[in-house]
Amino acid sequence: MPATKDESKKLERAAAWQPGRREFLALISGAAASQALGLSAVAQGTPKRGGILKVAAPANPSSLDPATGGSGADHPFLYTIFDTLVEWDFETLEAKPGLAEWHYPDPNTLVLKLRQGVVFHDGTPCDAAAVKFNLDRVRQDQRSNLKADLASVEAVELGRPNEVILKLKHADTALPLILSDRAGMMVSAKAAQELGKEHDRKPVGTGAWKIVTWADNDKVVVTRNEKYWKPGRPYLDGIEFAIIPEVTTGLRSVIGGQNDYVYFLAPQLKPIADRAKNLSVVSGPTLYCIQLYFNWSRPPLNDVRVRQAINYAIDRQAFVKATMGGIAQPAAMDLPIEHWAYDRTVAGLYPYDPEKAKKLLAESGYKDGLSINMVSYTDQLTVQKQEVIIEQLRKVGVNVKFTNGTIAEMSAAFFGTEKKGEALLSAWTGRPDPSLTYSLMFSKDAYYNAGRAEPPPGLAQALDASRLRENIEDRKRAFATVQQLVMENALVAPLCFQYELDAMTSKVKGYRPNLLGKPKFEDVYLEG
Amino acid sequence: MLTQASRALIGRRLLQVVPVVVLATFIVFGLIKLLPGDVAVTLAGENATDQRIAEIRHLYGLDRSFFIQYAGWAWNALHGDLSRSLLSGEPVADEIMRCFPTTLLIVALALVFSLAIGIPLGITAATKPGTWLDGSIMGLASLGVAVPNFWLAMILVATFALTYTIFPATGSVAFSANPAEALRHAILPATALAAGGIAEVARQLRSSLVEILSSQHVRTLHAKGLAPSSILWKHGLKNVSVNLLTVAGLLANRLLAATVVVEAVFAVPGMGNLIVRAAIERDFPVVQGVVFAMVVVVIAINLLVDLLASLLDPRIGRR
Repeated sequence: MPATKDESKKLERAAAWQPGRREFLALISGAAASQALGLSAVAQGTPKRGGILKVAAPANPSSLDPATGGSGADHPFLYTIFDTLVEWDFETLEAKPGLAEWHYPDPNTLVLKLRQGVVFHDGTPCDAAAVKFNLDRVRQDQRSNLKADLASVEAVELGRPNEVILKLKHADTALPLILSDRAGMMVSAKAAQELGKEHDRKPVGTGAWKIVTWADNDKVVVTRNEKYWKPGRPYLDGIEFAIIPEVTTGLRSVIGGQNDYVYFLAPQLKPIADRAKNLSVVSGPTLYCIQLYFNWSRPPLNDVRVRQAINYAIDRQAFVKATMGGIAQPAAMDLPIEHWAYDRTVAGLYPYDPEKAKKLLAESGYKDGLSINMVSYTDQLTVQKQEVIIEQLRKVGVNVKFTNGTIAEMSAAFFGTEKKGEALLSAWTGRPDPSLTYSLMFSKDAYYNAGRAEPPPGLAQALDASRLRENIEDRKRAFATVQQLVMENALVAPLCFQYELDAMTSKVKGYRPNLLGKPKFEDVYLEG
Repeated sequence: MLTQASRALIGRRLLQVVPVVVLATFIVFGLIKLLPGDVAVTLAGENATDQRIAEIRHLYGLDRSFFIQYAGWAWNALHGDLSRSLLSGEPVADEIMRCFPTTLLIVALALVFSLAIGIPLGITAATKPGTWLDGSIMGLASLGVAVPNFWLAMILVATFALTYTIFPATGSVAFSANPAEALRHAILPATALAAGGIAEVARQLRSSLVEILSSQHVRTLHAKGLAPSSILWKHGLKNVSVNLLTVAGLLANRLLAATVVVEAVFAVPGMGNLIVRAAIERDFPVVQGVVFAMVVVVIAINLLVDLLASLLDPRIGRR
């Protein structure tokens, strides 16, 4: 169906309109979503069992072992093979029980009570011993990329049958959501020990599907786990991921009928997907935040007023309209409106105010303007974003010069030892627990704190406080302080949250987007 | 049976493989290491710390000197081990064995199209030089050379895969698994690649054939009363066959290189896609492996062309 003018207008309105959490929930569950957001809702019917879902995936997995991989694009594959100890709510990312329920008998102890009767694909039980093996592996294995995730864990002990006790060095209530990510994906101890490095390619989990083959840069195939513990799931007999790095080509493969479903589409592709016959498009907000990272360890960005000026000088609405086709949420901080820890008081901190920006620059000694070297990437969509940033900052007297390269090259140059450029136009892909987001970017020695500069006074304590209490209201308050400190000190310039944008043929039913923006397929079924 | 001259040729070519492979892989290895960017950062994952990145460098030997790293790779390669992809852990030899047949099918099909269409066009143009037919064929040939293959590829997809769903828009099927489907998947990429090839074969054939047909000995054949068709087939084409073979050999090598672009448009998991992805991510064992394989393939094609040429023109073998 071609995109009509009306639909385009709806999209523009959708970009300008920012629903609160409650409205968002209502929208997600109701048909209103399709009307207000101008997006197609996926019709629900009676789920059917059977069939193979063919998915166009934009990246080859870095590894299919959750502990040794590293790419944020691995999750759609990993979720099919592995269950996590903790799961999250699709709309708000609040933690909920997965393979385990949890409680904190005291602040320095986390007890996981395991679901009984769950078995790995190789038939071994997913019991307390298996969970202890996994958590120790994550913390200590030489090849584990996740050691930092469980840095607060002192020891993992076996408690009563089906209970695992995590003794903590200090209070850490971020752990449940950390265990909803890679660190909480349980692998078979037998398989991990017997296969060693080969487990990267022949993973054994408890997930709804089990691995059949992984041909590098070609296909990942998974087939139904007949002994899956969730009643009635999965609906699909299997999933075939075709690795197609170019999302435009991936979309073509769905339009041409080679695949059924494609995800991570760029917003610019929405009109093309809308025009195609028999294709439905779903979309929803995610944590993926396009932003300017600052190196605040040296001039000129060590001056808070310059960083604030940049934040005032950016017209985020215009940025979204010009570079994201209107399909994104302007960002006031590193959490979107829908997130449980979003803080409204921070949201109004930097309205578009070029005069204020000029004033701040004058106060900081740059009355006649200044030049800033930024680094970024060479792809067309990023260059388009650079053009808008250059133009918006030029208006307040900041001359931006971009040096571009590949993602690997420029990220390493900015965050690594070279320290190239004063700012990086890139994105933060989001983490299930916000404490990770903030500690990974703003702690003194964090890799994503490019200058390894001292954070503003109080931030470290506020971050600790966010992990101190389990109660969600307490955590919200702690995160409010964290977000205020980060944004008042303008340690970053968040620009917008990218929407998850997926297209599928009309036979694909039951798919729901989630706030993490990484597809899960266990509710998906095929019709016809 | 092979003549002594042919055996000597094969021997010389095999000896050439060693220095060419060493030089090519060394230069490519140097280029990868010179480029900024660090595979250790990618390997360390999203929650990377400086410490973890340093650990990974050590774990994968990326902190050793350039020459030691190259020597390590070369030593393993000498023992038949092309090592594993740094990123996915798949043995490089397996990746190449999987991707190469896909690329080979597309290149072979493109070569067949180039020759099957280019030769008749070239002959037609050469036998009617200066006519409107010659002009149109050469005009088309110029267009074929000028049209970028990625653009043609997209037009082909839009027309034959999306508007009329005759061929698939993306992907490939292994020839060993289903030959008919494999060919159906390869036709559009091969056509996109072949456009330039058809044009080149037609132009080269025309120019050499025109030269032969206007030579003095052909004039003598006409004077002796030989039928024009007999002159063309028995004397004209036989004389240009070595030329044509050289063109086909060069074309095969160029088509191999051109698959990099066409495979991206059609999302074909072949050698082109493999090396592009590996180079972007600085996965040097894969890049080295692909370069190694390509050098061997190109030398093999050249050898085959030389052997066939010496069969067609025995004087070549004796030189």
